[in-house]
Amino acid sequence: MRGYLLRRAGASLIVLLVASMLVFAGVRALPGDPALALAGEDHSQKALTAIRAKYDLDKPVPVQYVIWLGHVVRGDLGTSTRTGLGVGSTIVDRLPVTLELAFLSLLVAIAIGLSLGMLAAVRRGSVSDYLGSTAALVGLSVPHFWLGLMLILVFSIGLGILPASGFVPLAADPIDNLRHMLLPAIVLGTGFAAVIFRQTRAAMLESLSADYVRTARAKGLGERSVVGSHALRNSLLTVVTIVGLQLGLLISGAVVTEQVFVLPGFGKLTLDAVFTRDYPVIEGVVLLTTVGYVLINFGVDLLYSALNPRIRVAGSES
Amino acid sequence: MSAVDVAAAPPRVRTRRRALRRLRRRPMAVAGLTVASLFVLTALFAPLIAPYDPAATNFSSVLQGPSAAHIMGTDDLGRDVFSRVVFGARASLEAGVLATLLALIVAVPLGLMAGYYRGWWDPVISRVSDVMLAFPFLIVAVGMAAIFGPSLRNVVVALGVAAIPWVVRVTRGEALALREQEFVRAAVANGAGDRTILARHLLPNMAGTLLVQATVWIPTAIIGEAVLSFLGLGVQPPTPSWGSMLSAAQPFISLDAWLALWPGLAIFLATLSFNLLGDGLRDVLDPKTQR
Repeated sequence: MRGYLLRRAGASLIVLLVASMLVFAGVRALPGDPALALAGEDHSQKALTAIRAKYDLDKPVPVQYVIWLGHVVRGDLGTSTRTGLGVGSTIVDRLPVTLELAFLSLLVAIAIGLSLGMLAAVRRGSVSDYLGSTAALVGLSVPHFWLGLMLILVFSIGLGILPASGFVPLAADPIDNLRHMLLPAIVLGTGFAAVIFRQTRAAMLESLSADYVRTARAKGLGERSVVGSHALRNSLLTVVTIVGLQLGLLISGAVVTEQVFVLPGFGKLTLDAVFTRDYPVIEGVVLLTTVGYVLINFGVDLLYSALNPRIRVAGSES
Repeated sequence: MSAVDVAAAPPRVRTRRRALRRLRRRPMAVAGLTVASLFVLTALFAPLIAPYDPAATNFSSVLQGPSAAHIMGTDDLGRDVFSRVVFGARASLEAGVLATLLALIVAVPLGLMAGYYRGWWDPVISRVSDVMLAFPFLIVAVGMAAIFGPSLRNVVVALGVAAIPWVVRVTRGEALALREQEFVRAAVANGAGDRTILARHLLPNMAGTLLVQATVWIPTAIIGEAVLSFLGLGVQPPTPSWGSMLSAAQPFISLDAWLALWPGLAIFLATLSFNLLGDGLRDVLDPKTQR
């Protein structure tokens, strides 16, 4: 087990380093001379040279990279050219909103997808199976920002019971916070519910016909125990894998959902930064997303190996 | 096509004909194929189908609902929504097809090299693939938009790049499995060169799996293009795109709900049809579900 984990950790680290290099190169590839942009009004050679020295722009690129990496590791991501505030603190301010959205959406997705998926597998071929599978297909094909607009139309404009936009912090008013987050969570959650439904159904169908389940049934164990402990464990494995794989979609979905519902989150920060050419923020956001992504994938790997003993044994043998 | 015809044909043709027959028996897949073809035809023949010029503004009839003159109504600049939806199919399908092609063209050779040659190709390609996986497609699109400015080309590249690691993985798996099979070993024993084996033996047998991959990535890319255009990172106005039409409709949603309905419906139906087609193809071509 430890060998496997160490290898995965090493691989993740390499990926992080290469990714950071790509981000660094990407920002350097931006059009325009950064010294000119920073110089403001005084464009004289003397001023430009001074700026280049101050920001280490006159050093060779690999040295610049190492200096930049040093800053990043210490948490210094620069200052936003739009607001003048620190990039790091801006991101930290916005992150809780997006995290709450992601958490609630996954909750919705797992609650709906897992339960319906299990139901569909246990009652294979029945009406509930057919309905569930069709609903899943629809859920996969619906563009969720359109779903968001349609839900706003029905629930906010038509019925007037849910707000169309805005955000209330959880600490300030939990009920109102949930009222504002309900539609966004449903919108973001449906796509994943569909994927989780399909995978759960497939995994459960496979495990329900497996030998150990037939043995359990032959031993006279109640259906609930059979389905519950054995089949459920495999389904959880599948869900964990999917969550890891779908993270990229979760991020893009969060950005779009925040745009539709005007939530002051990480996603909206990214978009605003792109359109105002706020490069420090873009750089910080891209870097953080990549780091988070790699870390979460590593976490999923850990969880997966904990749940699936086969990986553990295989890892220790090598 | 009689049973005699089917039986007399060479094995690979037989499998294909059998597969086609089974596909035809699945109404959902046939429906998906029909609707998907309709979208493709609409995109190709847009100028012939659209009644108005999609960029033609008319400020005297703004935000109208559906009527005899404009079957889907008009938008906030008086442009005919139906014509814009028809031309919007071009952006979506272009993105869908080109991104998938890009992914296939880059990833299939890489996957073949990793899976067939192994050696040091395998770990290198797998690591590079992992690095690519670290960048969610939206971040790549954001990055490209920041450097090059938003455009359809950025969308295609971002979507294609996002798909590459997955296609590499699938191709590599197939190559790994196929190289152990008898007919490949026989070909090697007969002195066939690598290129012959790859072209004549491996690729044709992977065709089914690769086709399934394509039908998975095209709808993903369609939605991806819609998302990016919705966010303003893709196709720029006045070129119509279903995604940007939706974002333009959002401020007017209480005045004219129809404006938000049609482009979203178009995205939904296009994606659904390719998904149905893909499901059908997967059921038909996947040896595990063959009875």
